[in-house]
Amino acid sequence: MQVQVLSARFDIPDAHRIEVAKEHGAYATLEKVFSMQPEEVIETVKASGLRGRGGAGFPTGLKWSFLPKGLDKPVYLAVNSDESEPATFKDRYILVRDPHLLIEGIIICCYAIKSHAAYIYIRGEYTTQVKALQAAIDEAYAAGYLGESVGGRDFKLDVTVHRGAGAYVCGEETALLESIEGRKGQPRSKPPFPAVEGLYGCPTIINNVQSIASLPFILTNGPDAYKAYGTEKSPGTHLFGISGLVKKPGMYELPLGLPILEVIDKVAGGLRDGRTLKGIIPGGSSTPVLTPEEAQDVTLDYESMAAHKTMFGSGGIVVLDDTVDMVKLVENLISFYHHESCGQCTPCREGLGWMLKIVKKILRGEGTTADIDLLTELCDNIEGKTVCVLSAACTMSTRSYLNKFRHEFEAYVHSGAPVQAAM
Amino acid sequence: MAEKIKLFVNGQEVEVESGKNLIDALGAVGIEIPHLCYHPALGADGNCRLCLVGIEDGRPPVVPACKTRAAEGMKVLLDVDNIKRIQRNVMELELINHPIDCPICDQAGECKLQDFYMKYDGQKSRMSVKPVLKAKKMDFGCGVVHDQERCVLCARCVRFTRLITKTGELGIVNRTDAARVNTFPGRPLNNRYALNVVDLCPVGAMTSSDFRFKQRAWFLTKSPGICHGCSKGCNIYIDHNREKYRDDVIYRFRPRLNAQVNGYFMCDAGRMTYKLENDNRLAAARVGEKSVELAEAVEAVRRAVSQAKKIVMVVSPNCSLEQMHAVQALAGQCNAAVSGYSDGYVQQGDGDDFLIQDDKAANRASFAILGIDSGKAGFDQAIAGADLLISFQNDLTRSLENDTLFEKTQFVLIGSYENDCAARAAISLPVASYSEDTGMVVNCDGILQEYRAAVGKISPAPSLIEVVHQLGGPFSTRDEVLADLTANVAALGGVDLKHIPAAGTALTANEVSNVAA
Repeated sequence: MQVQVLSARFDIPDAHRIEVAKEHGAYATLEKVFSMQPEEVIETVKASGLRGRGGAGFPTGLKWSFLPKGLDKPVYLAVNSDESEPATFKDRYILVRDPHLLIEGIIICCYAIKSHAAYIYIRGEYTTQVKALQAAIDEAYAAGYLGESVGGRDFKLDVTVHRGAGAYVCGEETALLESIEGRKGQPRSKPPFPAVEGLYGCPTIINNVQSIASLPFILTNGPDAYKAYGTEKSPGTHLFGISGLVKKPGMYELPLGLPILEVIDKVAGGLRDGRTLKGIIPGGSSTPVLTPEEAQDVTLDYESMAAHKTMFGSGGIVVLDDTVDMVKLVENLISFYHHESCGQCTPCREGLGWMLKIVKKILRGEGTTADIDLLTELCDNIEGKTVCVLSAACTMSTRSYLNKFRHEFEAYVHSGAPVQAAM
Repeated sequence: MAEKIKLFVNGQEVEVESGKNLIDALGAVGIEIPHLCYHPALGADGNCRLCLVGIEDGRPPVVPACKTRAAEGMKVLLDVDNIKRIQRNVMELELINHPIDCPICDQAGECKLQDFYMKYDGQKSRMSVKPVLKAKKMDFGCGVVHDQERCVLCARCVRFTRLITKTGELGIVNRTDAARVNTFPGRPLNNRYALNVVDLCPVGAMTSSDFRFKQRAWFLTKSPGICHGCSKGCNIYIDHNREKYRDDVIYRFRPRLNAQVNGYFMCDAGRMTYKLENDNRLAAARVGEKSVELAEAVEAVRRAVSQAKKIVMVVSPNCSLEQMHAVQALAGQCNAAVSGYSDGYVQQGDGDDFLIQDDKAANRASFAILGIDSGKAGFDQAIAGADLLISFQNDLTRSLENDTLFEKTQFVLIGSYENDCAARAAISLPVASYSEDTGMVVNCDGILQEYRAAVGKISPAPSLIEVVHQLGGPFSTRDEVLADLTANVAALGGVDLKHIPAAGTALTANEVSNVAA
C-alpha cells in the first residue's frame, strides 16, 4: 500500500545533505521549470489536482491564481510549517529527512507566483527541524540554488526561516503573517484575504510544507503521473501520521482513497490483541470522530470524509480502542484548544474556558444532564461567531463526541464513574 | 454632504450616508447595532463579536457590522432570531467571567454591559463553575485605575495609546481567558491624554482615581460646556450634582464630541480644571478686610471710579466675548483704558500638535476681534500714573514679575476665584464663573463657540455683565451686548450671535481680515 513520492529520499542515509540529495534527483527539475513560463507552471499544478495539505484541502494551483494581476507590490510566499495540530507529525519528516525537497518546491512555487522572498514559518520549539532546515538552506545558497541568481538563471530568491514563539494559532494563516511581522500571533479578520493583502500588506501565498514538497514530483513527472495516485477528486499521495492504540504507529506515505480500516490493519499493524475499535480521529484532533460503524466505508480522501460529516484534515489518524475514556479525551481536547485560543475575540476566549470547566465538573462526578446539554449548546454558540476557525476546531470535534458517545458523559453524571472499567 | 445610499434593514428600506460602516451608517438614523470594541476614533477591530449581523444572500451570511461598509441595496438582517441569538450568546460569554459588581462599580448607569444585558440578553446566569479571577484596582498611572476582571478586552484603551497618543503604554498580555490588559513593568501610563481611556472603556474596567466612588452616574446632570483650560476650547460635559443639603458641585469634566474642535478627546489637565470651579471660590464681596453685601462693594467701586483721575481696566482672556465688550463699553463711559494684558496665561512650549495649546486661556482670540490691546507695552503705558486698576477676572499676579503695582495703585478685582490676586485687592466682587454663566469664546482656530450656564449654585454669584451694569455700564443684559456686538463689531458682522450652531461656527477669512484692518 505504501508509496514513495514525497518520501522517496527519506530512507537514504544523509539525504538531508545537498550532495546526497542531488545524487538522488534533487533540484533536477529546475531546468525544466525555468524553461516554462510561470503561468505554465501554475497550469501544471492546477492540472495535477494538488490540494492544500494543511488541512483544508483547497486546490493549490487555484489559490495561486487568486493573486491580483498587474500590482507593483512584491509577492511573498509563506510556507506554513507550524504543524501544531495534535496527532499531526508529517511535515517534520520532510524538514529533517529531505529539506532540499521543500527548498526545490519553494523555488518552483516562487517562480510560478513571481515571488522573490519566501518565509518558512516554523514553531520555535522545533529545534531539530529548524537546524536541519537552516543547514539545508545554507547549502542551497552556497550551491547557488538560492540567492541573487537561482540555478544560474535571472531569478532572485531569498528564503528566510522564521521561528515562532510556539502557538497553535500561528498555524492560522493570518496569525502566521502577524507573527512574521513581529506582532502577537492573532488572526486577522477576512476579507481582505492574504492573496490580496497579506504579509506587510502585500499579496501573499501561504502553503503547507507538504503541498510545496509535492511540487518537484509534479513538475518532473507531469500532472498525469501525480494523478495516477489517489482518486479523481483527491489525487496524489499524502503523508499519514498514524498514532493511537495500534501496533505500528508511525508516518506512512499512501495514495489517497484507501479504506481507512484497511490502512489501520495492514499498514499500522491493527489494534492491540484483544482490543476492539471504539473510534477513529481521521485527520488531527480537530476533525470529528468516526465510530467503527461509520468507518466501515470511509476512504482516506476529502470527499469520503466530507460525506461522513468529518474532515480529511492533516492526515493525522488517531485510533481509539475500548480502553479510551471519551470524556477524558474531550477534556484533553478542550484543554488544548482553550490553552491555544489567542484570546482576541469573545466567544473563543471566554467560551472554551467555560466548556473546559464544565467537562472537568462532569469528570468530578458533579455534572448534571443539563451540563451535557449546555456543553452541546455552547458548541453551537461559539462556532462560526469568531474571527478564525480555532474555536470551530474545538467545537466541531467536541460536538462529535457529545453526539456519538453521549452515554459516556451520562455515565459520569449518573454514577460519577466512566462507562466501562476496561481500563 | 455625503452621498446617500439605500439599503434594507429587516426588509425596511432606509437611506443612509455612504462610505460608513453599518454601525455608524445605521446608528445615524437611529438603528442601534450593539458593539463594544468598535469606536469611530479607533476604527474597527472586530474582536467583541457583538455586532454580528446577517446579510441576506451574503457570503458569508453573518458579518461583523463594524467591518462591513454600508452598500447600496444591501439586505441587513438585525431583528431576526439567529442574530438575536448571537447577541444574547455573546453577551452571556462576556458576562460569565465578569464580576457583576455593579453596586460598587463607577461605570454602573453608563455601562454598555448593563445596557446590552437589559436589551439583548436578559437571561439568568448558567455559570455553575468558578469564574476566572484576575487582578483588581491596578494603578496604571496618570490617575487611571484598572480592574482586569471587569475588562471585556475590547482593546479600545490599547488602541488609544497606539493610535492616538502613540505612546503604546498598554497591551494585552497572555492569551485565552488569561488575556488581560496591562502596562509593561515599570512603565505606567505616561501621556497627557491618559484619562481618555476611562471614557473609552465601555465597561468599568478603567476608572479615574479622581472620580472613583464619588458619585453614581445616574445622579449626575450632564450639561454641555466648553473647557477653559486652554485656547483649544474642547467641548465637554460638565457632570454635576446638587445633593440634598449641599451646593451644586462638579464631579468631573468629560470630552464631548465636536469633530471640528477636539474630536472625541480632551487632555487630562483640562479635565482636572473642574476643581477650580468648585474650590477656592470668591464667596463674598470684600472692601478691605471686611466682607460686605454686594451692593455696598458696588457702591465702593463706583465711588473709587468717580474719584480716580486715571483708570485702567484689565480683562481676562478667559472672559467671554460679551463680557469683554461690556467692559469696553463701561470703560468708554468712565474714560478708562482697557487692556487684555495677560502674558502669564501663556506657557511657551507647553502645547503639542494634538489638543494642548500654549495659551492657557479660552478666549484670547476675542481681543483681536474687539480691538483690545493685550501687549505689555500698552499695559505699561496705560498703568503709568493710573490711580485705579480694575481687573475683570484677570489674575494679574500670573503676568507681573513684581507686584509693586498693587501698592501704588488702588486695585479692584471682579472675579470668581480666591487667589493671590483677590488677596491683594482693596475691593473684590464675586461673579459667576464660566460654568455658571452663558457666553461665547473664540478658540485658537477661530471657531466661535457658545456655552450655557450649567451649574446652579444655591446662592448664585451675579454674572459679570450684571455687575458691570451696576458699575455704570450701558448694557443691562447679555442680549443687549449681543445686539451691540452685531451692530458695531465688523468682524462679527456675518455671524448670527443669537443662533450659534452646537458645533460652533468658524469665523471666515473675511472676518479675520477685518480684524487685522
